[in-house]
Amino acid sequence: MKTYPACLPLLATLALSIAVAKAQTNDRNSLRGVSPSNAKLYVPNASNHWTCLNGSKTIPFSAINDDYCDCADGSDEPGHIATDIKSSRVNDGVCDPECCDGSDEFDGRIHCPNVCDEVGVEARKEQERVRRIQEEGSRLRKGYIQHGKTTKLKLQQELEILKAKTDQVKAAAVDAKENLDKITEEYEAFLESSKKDREAEREAQLQPFIQEQIKRLNRAKETKGHLHRTLQDLRENHNKNYHDMAVKEMVSEYDDYVTSLGDSHTVFELLTPTDGSHQSEPGNSADTLLDRLIEDTAIIQREITSLHDILMGLRHEYNTEYNDEAVLEAVKVAVEFDSQWNTERQEFNDELPLDVPEADADKVPESGAIKNESDMAQAEFDRATDEEVKVQNTIKDIERKLNIDFSLDETFAELLDQCFDFKDADKFSNWEGDNYSVQKYTGGSKCWNGPERSVRLEMTCGAKNEILSVTEPEKCEYHFKMQTPAVCPVLPDSESGNDGNGAGNVPQSVAYSEERKDEVKRHDEL
Amino acid sequence: MIPARGGTRTSSSSRTKRTISRSVLALGLVLGCVSAVKREDFKTCAQSGFCTRNRAYAELAKETPQWISPFQLNPSSLRLQGGILTGDLINIEEDKQPSSKSGLAFELHLLDNDSVRVRINERDPIHPRYDGVKDTVLIKPYGMANENSYQKLAKDDSGVLTIQYGNKNQNTIKVNSAPFKIEFLVNGVSTVVLNDEGLLKFERLRKKQEEAAQEKEIVDEDKLVDQGDENKDDEVKIEKSELETKLEANMWEEKFKEYTDSKPRGPESFGMDITFSGIDHVYGIPQHASSLSLKATKGTDAPYNEPYRLYNLDVFEYEVDNPMALYGSIPFMLGHSKNNTAAVFWMNAAETWIDVEKSPEDKTGGILSWIKTKKPVSAPSTKTHWISEAGVLDLFVFLGPTHRDIFRQYTSLVGTTALPQAFSIAYHQCRWNYNTQQDVAEVDAGFDEHDIPYDVLWLDIEHTNGKRYFTWDHAKFPDPMDMQRALGAKGRKMVTIIDPHIKKDNDYYVSKEGAELDVYIKNKDGNSDFDGWCWPGSSQWIDFYNPKARDWWASQFSYDRYVGSTNTLFTWNDMNEPSVFSGPEITIPKDVIHYGNMEHRNVHNLYGTMFHSATAQGLTQRNETNQRPFVLSRAFFAGTQRFGAIWTGDNLATWEHLEVASPMLLTIGLAGIPFSGADVGGFFGNPEPELLTRWYQAGIYYPFFRAHAHLDSKRREPWLFGEPYTTQMREAIRTRYSFLPFWYTLFQESSVDGMPIIRPMFVEFPEDEAVFGMDDQYMVGNALLVKPVSKPGVTRSTVYFAGTEKWFGIKDYSVEQGPGAKEVASPADKIPVYQRAGTIVPKRERPRRSSKAMENDPFTLVIALDSNGEATGRIYLDDGESFDYQTGDYILREFKVADKVLTSRNLKPADAGETSEFVKRAGALRIERLVVLGSTVPLKEVTVDGRAVQVECSQAPTDGSYVCTVKEPKVLIGEDFSIAFA
Repeated sequence: MKTYPACLPLLATLALSIAVAKAQTNDRNSLRGVSPSNAKLYVPNASNHWTCLNGSKTIPFSAINDDYCDCADGSDEPGHIATDIKSSRVNDGVCDPECCDGSDEFDGRIHCPNVCDEVGVEARKEQERVRRIQEEGSRLRKGYIQHGKTTKLKLQQELEILKAKTDQVKAAAVDAKENLDKITEEYEAFLESSKKDREAEREAQLQPFIQEQIKRLNRAKETKGHLHRTLQDLRENHNKNYHDMAVKEMVSEYDDYVTSLGDSHTVFELLTPTDGSHQSEPGNSADTLLDRLIEDTAIIQREITSLHDILMGLRHEYNTEYNDEAVLEAVKVAVEFDSQWNTERQEFNDELPLDVPEADADKVPESGAIKNESDMAQAEFDRATDEEVKVQNTIKDIERKLNIDFSLDETFAELLDQCFDFKDADKFSNWEGDNYSVQKYTGGSKCWNGPERSVRLEMTCGAKNEILSVTEPEKCEYHFKMQTPAVCPVLPDSESGNDGNGAGNVPQSVAYSEERKDEVKRHDEL
Repeated sequence: MIPARGGTRTSSSSRTKRTISRSVLALGLVLGCVSAVKREDFKTCAQSGFCTRNRAYAELAKETPQWISPFQLNPSSLRLQGGILTGDLINIEEDKQPSSKSGLAFELHLLDNDSVRVRINERDPIHPRYDGVKDTVLIKPYGMANENSYQKLAKDDSGVLTIQYGNKNQNTIKVNSAPFKIEFLVNGVSTVVLNDEGLLKFERLRKKQEEAAQEKEIVDEDKLVDQGDENKDDEVKIEKSELETKLEANMWEEKFKEYTDSKPRGPESFGMDITFSGIDHVYGIPQHASSLSLKATKGTDAPYNEPYRLYNLDVFEYEVDNPMALYGSIPFMLGHSKNNTAAVFWMNAAETWIDVEKSPEDKTGGILSWIKTKKPVSAPSTKTHWISEAGVLDLFVFLGPTHRDIFRQYTSLVGTTALPQAFSIAYHQCRWNYNTQQDVAEVDAGFDEHDIPYDVLWLDIEHTNGKRYFTWDHAKFPDPMDMQRALGAKGRKMVTIIDPHIKKDNDYYVSKEGAELDVYIKNKDGNSDFDGWCWPGSSQWIDFYNPKARDWWASQFSYDRYVGSTNTLFTWNDMNEPSVFSGPEITIPKDVIHYGNMEHRNVHNLYGTMFHSATAQGLTQRNETNQRPFVLSRAFFAGTQRFGAIWTGDNLATWEHLEVASPMLLTIGLAGIPFSGADVGGFFGNPEPELLTRWYQAGIYYPFFRAHAHLDSKRREPWLFGEPYTTQMREAIRTRYSFLPFWYTLFQESSVDGMPIIRPMFVEFPEDEAVFGMDDQYMVGNALLVKPVSKPGVTRSTVYFAGTEKWFGIKDYSVEQGPGAKEVASPADKIPVYQRAGTIVPKRERPRRSSKAMENDPFTLVIALDSNGEATGRIYLDDGESFDYQTGDYILREFKVADKVLTSRNLKPADAGETSEFVKRAGALRIERLVVLGSTVPLKEVTVDGRAVQVECSQAPTDGSYVCTVKEPKVLIGEDFSIAFA
């Protein structure tokens, strides 16, 4: 039976002295690739045969490590399924760094030198560095944990107090409401008596303004419809083969915009010209009607402004090399429309703001005293309601914080509400996996032609909170790497410097965090 | 810039609630509508003047009772000498007084490989018609038939000249003088007939002034007539003039959308019909996203109403089941029936349209025809009508008689596939884009972490500095050489994209040098450089017809010129149709001018190949030691196989596109390009994990195996979907790697005799009519039967097992007996793949990181015995990267089982040359395992030279035969041996 030197994994090299390692390779009883703890599985039976670990087959013991796979599970070739490196890398012509003794290449095709000494020195240095970071990180993390626990306790106490206060503020709000209702009733009764005359007069006064506003509203509707149709035509008919990025972007802007209007929204609703009857409801005053008309117009004008922006973007950026009719048509509309539109006022150039006269307060007789009373009741009601809402919101906020998963030991409470600007993707979504080291943030603003921005934040142990790198592996999905004490292992307080290996699950990438620091973009404080 | 867009959007959306509450109308507004091919961007035949004119001529012939072609050979002019028949071809309507100066020159060449060339050119044109395609496409002057190998038989009474020829004297050519018509018979059976329907039309070059004057006269006459009697015969006249209009459509100018083709030389098109007699399935003329067996484009119930079009175009999101032109064009068509096999190569690189009409007896065909009951024996024929815009009529007829003969005959003219770099037939990982050097390192590490092999990582256009090819975006790729070295240490390579459009920028050295050397394509005026729009913005296109340009271009690839390149960096040529975003049909105008005052319209379909070949030349030249190039191209033409691989362009992540990939690749393979693939996963869109997995399972049986994805798509490296998908994709890719020795051997075979690597069923089973229309399963070489799964949720597939022998599942060795269709399991982790009885397939079964890392691994031979207990197979081995194989540095062996003995025999000729140390070492690698399938009794004893070797047998899952595994026979792959089974 051939024996090969065992491949010594890096970690083993760290744990054992080189001398010991060399001694072990000379152990004649060990099978290549079989760890001492598994040695009992590789024992021949009485007839010097051996059964595959999955029981599939019994083979001569000499067939173990004979460079031929007998067992379906490959267990007869432990030298090729070594846990240290993958079997696909044994004798593949590449010296794998994981096997510093070069034992992964033993077929004589290439010679991999034993670099364990050098690697060992480096690795110990590295280990020492990591240990120091971890120590510092651990210290800080303990502070976080302490902070987290204290914070949680404080919040819980605060919550108790607020809950006790809830009934009281609720009652005050109800009282204020009752008082307000009573006084309002009196006040309205008083106004009612003189209402009709005042309304008639006021309506006559406002009528020309209402008519003008209806005209403007209808004009806005018509314009909005025209611009929507223009952009829809552009979207459907533009020539995709031209890859005109400006056109693509504007079409996408438009789609985004339409999406932002809401699911059940249709861009052509409300486009039927109005005579004002939609806005007027029985019992409403001429002032209300006019307000409604102005408001409706303003809404549509804002929408027109958005569409105008998109068209202007197209007009300025489209590629004039192409004669894409759909694009040219849209640009034509853009140019025509631009000359009529005042972007700042969000109105047509020729529509000056209406100078609507105020309703004449003096015409209401003897209004002083009761009006004053009414105003005071309103103020008291507002105050009481505010107080109630404030208490409720504080309770909600505390409960939200208490419900956040700050990991099992509350480590991440430290980082709560610290500024962490992720290009709009600000909704913490969830932890990925079970070990509290990867966070997902979703629901950012929608990308051009892409999804909503999202962030995957991967944390490694470090002595301070710092963003290490930001990448965008696919459109609008950002990967952040940061170091933070929050994911450092919690070392026992009595830690001695030589016992670094026993400390729990060390994130693999910890070793690189320091080195990368220089090349990464600084980010906001975390 | 766009002012305050975000702000206005926010304020507008804040009103949404109120709008909803008042909303009355609920118009369904479909957002992000599914985009598809924009058909109106591409011409139909009716929008193409010459297609219209020629199709109208066919219409005229059809409508005219007793139509007789006006073309006649002048009998007294016919001469047969040195294997060439020459004569004067006259159009009796145009050449009233035939003379040697008028009319057309006719030539018929008898080639020494039993094929025939027919040429028709103008005898004395006002300026020469373009006749340069042959110089680019034909690899060398071909040999003429020996004087003794043919005989001219006396003309019979009907004026038919008969030539009997062929190495076995099997071919007969009957040349009919009046009307002109040529019939080819093989062993007395009519096979191909030229001008059978009399559709030959040949537009002679003319002067425009006369034409204009004539037109004026006609118009004037019409006016007079109209004034004379206005109402009479109105209908008849209009109808007649409609056809007339078509016959004279767009002769001097052609408008399409906002573009005008100036056609300075006027009409110069020609067309002719070719009948495949007794043949109801024709194949070829790629590239179309359509079935393997071509569909009728004319006649009652024709599935298509447009001819197949050959015009290299960049078609965005192309549709399946469509005769529209795509990225490549090969005017090669093969017809096959149970009794007959023949092919034609219409050697023309101008825009070409081909109508296909099936004779009324047969309307079936297509994928499902084999399910139907057998039809009574009839003699259906397929009539094809070929129409080209410019050049000369120059075609080859290949008469076989077998497929293997036809592929040999065809590729002996246009060339066989270059033997590829061994790494390039392994797995390629591509995406638009791998963004940074760090990204590349992480993807590379991802493959290692998940133990998935791959050989090549690709960088798309974003790696460059502003789409200036040969440059790097150094912010993203600070040290490209280090990046290549890191991958190279594991045997892996990289590919960067290099396109033919050169950004117009005087600070860009390539652009500047090109201008100084004056190597850009010119505008129609012949002086100023053509300027169009592509990825980098305003760009110029290199004129590869300029010999200066070719050498200059090739020199760009030298390591000192292409800064940051190493010998593990290879090239991808995209957009070479060429794609011009601002041009008609997204390509360059036809009237732009190449070197030598030659109009682009003559060579459009060859442009991409000229680019491809210059790039391959560059990669070959860059090394002092000879290294094979690897260049992937999107555009292609006949002969592309000499320069590298192609892929089917920008497909979609849909099941339909997965399905159509098989017929597309089979068709491209028939037409001479074996090294082809479709983007695994589909370029546009996001495949669901099941589709992606199924695509990997199919893609491992594409000769070129690459995954690729669009910029807007989600990441889809094979480990990103979790289990079970990662395992399924890993298993698929590893299966490809295990078969690499077999694939490489097939490439070598193809490089010698032109055989396709993936083959339609009919190529391997030419007698079985059930497979003639079959394109949803195919053969890899002669040994593996592959049936991709191209529908979601499928766990069972119907496989047609052709022939009378057995088939063995490659994973579980389950046995199926031919012939007939059978439903078999196709669970999520595999597609049905079977090894054919009678074949031996060499494999390497150890999973590795890359193909390079397998170089030292032992072999397994899988031996599938036929019912006589026999099997044969081959292995070809060389260093996988140099040209030394050309001087004999290779191993080629045949394995054969007969009389219960497996022997390995050298096939390399004794005088082929010496092998290098490397190849000697490869030859000394051992065969570690034999898997013997199909034995009716368990093998009891296996001996090598009397020495007993361990063997174990078990019964195959589905029949009584045995699967026997011979362990370590201790024989070497490169040496003779014989192993006895008992």
